[in-house]
Amino acid sequence: MNTQTHERIANEISKQDVVLFMKGTPQAPQCGFSSQVAQLLAHLGVNFHSVNVLEDDDIRNGIKQYSDWPTIPQLYIKGEFVGGCDIVREMFQSGELQQHLAEKKIVT
Amino acid sequence: MPVSAAETFLQKRLCDSLAPQELEIVDESHRHIGHAGANASGVGSHFRVRIVAGAFEGLSRVQRHRLVYRALRDEAGGALGCGIHALELIALSPGEESSEA
Repeated sequence: MNTQTHERIANEISKQDVVLFMKGTPQAPQCGFSSQVAQLLAHLGVNFHSVNVLEDDDIRNGIKQYSDWPTIPQLYIKGEFVGGCDIVREMFQSGELQQHLAEKKIVT
Repeated sequence: MPVSAAETFLQKRLCDSLAPQELEIVDESHRHIGHAGANASGVGSHFRVRIVAGAFEGLSRVQRHRLVYRALRDEAGGALGCGIHALELIALSPGEESSEA
């Protein structure tokens, strides 16, 4: 990954407290796993910035190296990588996600 | 249904690197035909994997998943190997199975 891509990804992650790298958009998700995470965040009433990796191959490939994580979706909260679909779903089901958001003072 | 090359690859890599006490692999590719990343055959692209391994002891969820992904990387290093597109992953340490939801 070149420096420019690295900077662009860091910039996307810093745009909002909650940032979701996904396939498609929350309104028109292109993958069931991306769709699940977007719906879950919406269900919790979280405002989030979404990045459609299908629109940009540099980001699509770069984010996998950036996070050391080979799949999409990827959720970041306050600049910190939280996980992919399985982890976010597990955290939601156990209440950890809600707790984590509250601890980070993200209004839901 | 014959076992796909991808499933054999998953089985071998995970056994070699994590020495799991339990390993369940379910091919769910047929549910994703037509999606980006799926192949036309309906096997070998999307899997559900449940692993119980001592290697996960004391690790966070993210660390556990990274261990699994690392074991499955292709030669080039970035993507998952053998045409695998997505994994639904349950990674437990021994003793945690009993508390499974």
